[in-house]
Amino acid sequence: MGMSKRSRLAVVTLLFVAATMVAPAAQSLPTGIAGVKDSGCNCHGAVVSESVSASIGGLPEIYNYSEAYEIVVSFEGGPSETGNINQGGFHLWVSDGSLAVNDATSQLFNQNEVGHTEAGNDQTSWVVTWTAPETDKNVEFVLHVNSVNGDADGNGGGSTGDLWSKAVASISGPVVVLDAADPFVVLTVLIMVSAVLLSITLSYIFYRTNPDSFDWETFAPWIADWLTSTDHKKIGTLYTVQGLFFLGVGGIMAMFIRIQLAVPGNDFLTQDQYNQFFTLHGTTMIFLAAMPLINGFANWIVPLQIGAPDLALPRINAMSFWLQPFAAILIFTGIFSGGGADTGWTGYAPYVVSQTAHVGTTMWAAGQIMLVASSTLTGINFLTTIAVMRAEGMGWMHMPLFTWSIFIANVMLFLSIPAFGIGLIQVFLDRVIGTAFYDISAGGDPLLWSHLFWYFGHPEVYVVIVPAFGVISEVMATSARRSVFGYRSMVYAMAGIGIVSFIVYGHHMFTSGMSPTLRFVTMLTTMLVAVPTGIKIFNWLMTMNGGSLVYRTHTLWALGFILTFTIGGISGMFFPSVAMDLHLHESYFVIAHFHYVLVGGTVFGLVSGIYYWFPKATGKMLDEKLGVIHFLVGFVSYNALFWPMHRLGVWGMTRRHHTYFITTEEAMGSLPAEAAGWNMLITVSGFVFMGSFFILVANMIISSIRGEDAPADPWGGWSFEWMTSSPPPTPSFGHFDGEKWSGLPRLKDANDHLANEPGVVSRWFKRLMVPDEDSGEVSH
Amino acid sequence: MLWSIVVSVIAFGWLFHHSFWFRSEDGKELSNVDGLAIGVFPLHNDDMRLEVTWTILPFILIIWLTYVSWAPIDNMWAPLDDDEYHGSECDYASAAYTGSNNVMDSKGMVTSDCYHLIEITGQQWFWSFDCLELDESLCYTATDTLEVYGSVPVLGLKKGETYLALMESEDVTHAPWFLDLFTKEDVLQGQQTLLWLPITDSGDSMILCAEYCGDAHSVMSGVLAVHN
Repeated sequence: MGMSKRSRLAVVTLLFVAATMVAPAAQSLPTGIAGVKDSGCNCHGAVVSESVSASIGGLPEIYNYSEAYEIVVSFEGGPSETGNINQGGFHLWVSDGSLAVNDATSQLFNQNEVGHTEAGNDQTSWVVTWTAPETDKNVEFVLHVNSVNGDADGNGGGSTGDLWSKAVASISGPVVVLDAADPFVVLTVLIMVSAVLLSITLSYIFYRTNPDSFDWETFAPWIADWLTSTDHKKIGTLYTVQGLFFLGVGGIMAMFIRIQLAVPGNDFLTQDQYNQFFTLHGTTMIFLAAMPLINGFANWIVPLQIGAPDLALPRINAMSFWLQPFAAILIFTGIFSGGGADTGWTGYAPYVVSQTAHVGTTMWAAGQIMLVASSTLTGINFLTTIAVMRAEGMGWMHMPLFTWSIFIANVMLFLSIPAFGIGLIQVFLDRVIGTAFYDISAGGDPLLWSHLFWYFGHPEVYVVIVPAFGVISEVMATSARRSVFGYRSMVYAMAGIGIVSFIVYGHHMFTSGMSPTLRFVTMLTTMLVAVPTGIKIFNWLMTMNGGSLVYRTHTLWALGFILTFTIGGISGMFFPSVAMDLHLHESYFVIAHFHYVLVGGTVFGLVSGIYYWFPKATGKMLDEKLGVIHFLVGFVSYNALFWPMHRLGVWGMTRRHHTYFITTEEAMGSLPAEAAGWNMLITVSGFVFMGSFFILVANMIISSIRGEDAPADPWGGWSFEWMTSSPPPTPSFGHFDGEKWSGLPRLKDANDHLANEPGVVSRWFKRLMVPDEDSGEVSH
Repeated sequence: MLWSIVVSVIAFGWLFHHSFWFRSEDGKELSNVDGLAIGVFPLHNDDMRLEVTWTILPFILIIWLTYVSWAPIDNMWAPLDDDEYHGSECDYASAAYTGSNNVMDSKGMVTSDCYHLIEITGQQWFWSFDCLELDESLCYTATDTLEVYGSVPVLGLKKGETYLALMESEDVTHAPWFLDLFTKEDVLQGQQTLLWLPITDSGDSMILCAEYCGDAHSVMSGVLAVHN
């Protein structure tokens, strides 16, 4: 006969009730799948019931190491009544120590979680054992209870009318452990401490300039002058200070990232925080550190090198600078509302406009639109200045290489940044007023952003590296006491890089689903970049030939630059080879490559520039001993920091992953076990590398107060900046009597031809110009 | 790889030689071969033949590198129904059908007789695999619980067979990275992308997401289980 229909129904209902009570238990991890922590057990309604009160009894306030405690978990209230078949269930999670069950009424899921069993669901109180940890921990308990409307009538699923509740408790060991602070709080504190230190330093420098008049009456005009100055030298200093400040901020963020990645499966940062850290690290380093530092050098040195009194458009120049700090505030705004941009600095659509991206992304885009405006104005300014304000006798092919590099960088920036601006405005409109440029379901294009971004993004990385080429050319030539080898081929190589940069960006999109033909073309053009870069490296090396190399700190950094940049260039040659790129794309190999060219290239170049031009800018020599220590510490830790990343990338470590797992005997992960050790090495080296920059900052502060006075030409360079005093007067050259400038320098030429003879480039420019007179000369 | 070592040996050897050979000596008058003086454009220091040499030689090198990587690129982005690499979709009813019969040459390029179609869908934040009409012995899907990643989808494929994945995304851009197959391709919303999966070795390996897609990007993973 078997069971009657009724009893079968009862068993099924019983199982169902038990299942529905176990199911929420499995979700009640306080740190689990998103949303569960707040919504809790949403199978019986999404909110905690007030009529049920859960309690955890038997907990000590302070536990003893390894002692076992009997814990009573219970609840009162709710629909559970005496006489019901089922009364309730529970789920207890504990952060540390280990749980054990006492009887058949509860079961152990793992050492952190227990729940009731089917035998235990006819009671409202359970006893389990918790063994305290062996060390000091702040232990949290999270209890979920379910008060069962145990009528078991089977109608409506049997769980109708259940109510649930939650209780939390936390205890500590004999020694109270401080809770880990929110990383964003730490970041903000560090930034604020840096800002305070910066302002103390500035006040001290102000004090030292004239200790007798250290009062508000002299301070107010002094600071007002800095805030409103249109002098290219002061704006250059402001850019440099801003750049160094954000280099520090970006560095702190990098350290957060490295702490998180030091060991596999780390939970120092949540994935959400990690995503914001790497996004802001990238944006800060490129737009708020590298670009301002370059602009600082350009502002300081270009007018001096071409013998101009100032930039062509000084007020526009001040405006370009003052857009930057406010753009920076916008970019960081998001983190104060708990949701900084989390899109990666590349901000790929459609993620960047999707609901899942943080609210801060809107302000992040807005801030970058301001930076686009700033860069455009800077571009106009430098192109105009270099085109029309060169000293008499300085043809295009007589410009110092640093000026050439700034010229080419600004041409690239000026031609590429509108694409980025357009993309950002589209993203901003999509996010704010609901346009649909990147809303795929409304007909948007998933690849449009990538095209716009990388059309800008690839020239942009050359924009930040080409000025470093300029610095290295100056430093190598001066240090070797030679003129740079192959001046003309250096210029053509830089111009070549500038042109090729616009047709290679497709290699960022090798895996994007772009047409294979286009991908093949960009593979070829990307390979081509190696040719002009190779010319430059060989020319620098040849510059040393037959000279007498003077070892100064800036020489060391320049030699270090050549070494690391060559490695970065060679590792870059792996990407155009598509078969390799399909594996290495978006891996740590990419991270290693672009840090080798951007840190080993741009940062090394600019540090070399700081040591080279600091005496000119401040009139004080930098300390060579500290400089050499900075170089040695920085160079070694730098290589220990980025070289192992190549290997991690080949193994399969993915960029933008908040953690990684190694394969052990028990569990499969994505990386071999050695990866953990390498990551730890990288983290330690990262801290050492960042620390080495404090030597530079200390050197700059100490030397600007106590350093030796610098002569006009400490290194023996030939270009105009060494002609003026250190520091240079304002205006930098000549004087203005109300109508015209007089006393501007004139360039002589040691070569055996007429100084004013137009070069090849000049003749080409002349052809593009409208002739002054209608003479027949221009037509042929 | 070989060429990168050759190039770096040349460049670094040159760097070290020149930087030590031509260093200045303390107290010695510095030479001034190029007439360096402030405000004077110095003498040109160049050699057309040398400069042309190191323009032409790298150029030849990269043309050659492009040429040698041409075949692998064709292999990894083989067009559909092109007889050179993967033939056409397998005709399971045909009497001649014996599977893909993958053959790997010395360069690591795989050719096969025919291929099987599967489907991969990316979604925030998990992968869905679909074997379409393939037989259980060729392709299966399952879920597995990994200690560190939690519950992940499993794509079971057979050794020696070649698969073509038709891929699309439900929301934002993702990219499955098949760690042991050394390949990946983006999946886009509203646009199908293709990825060749020629299977030559058995064993389990990870599939990760390589295109940043938001919160749980780093744990958006799967397992490729290759059976014999």
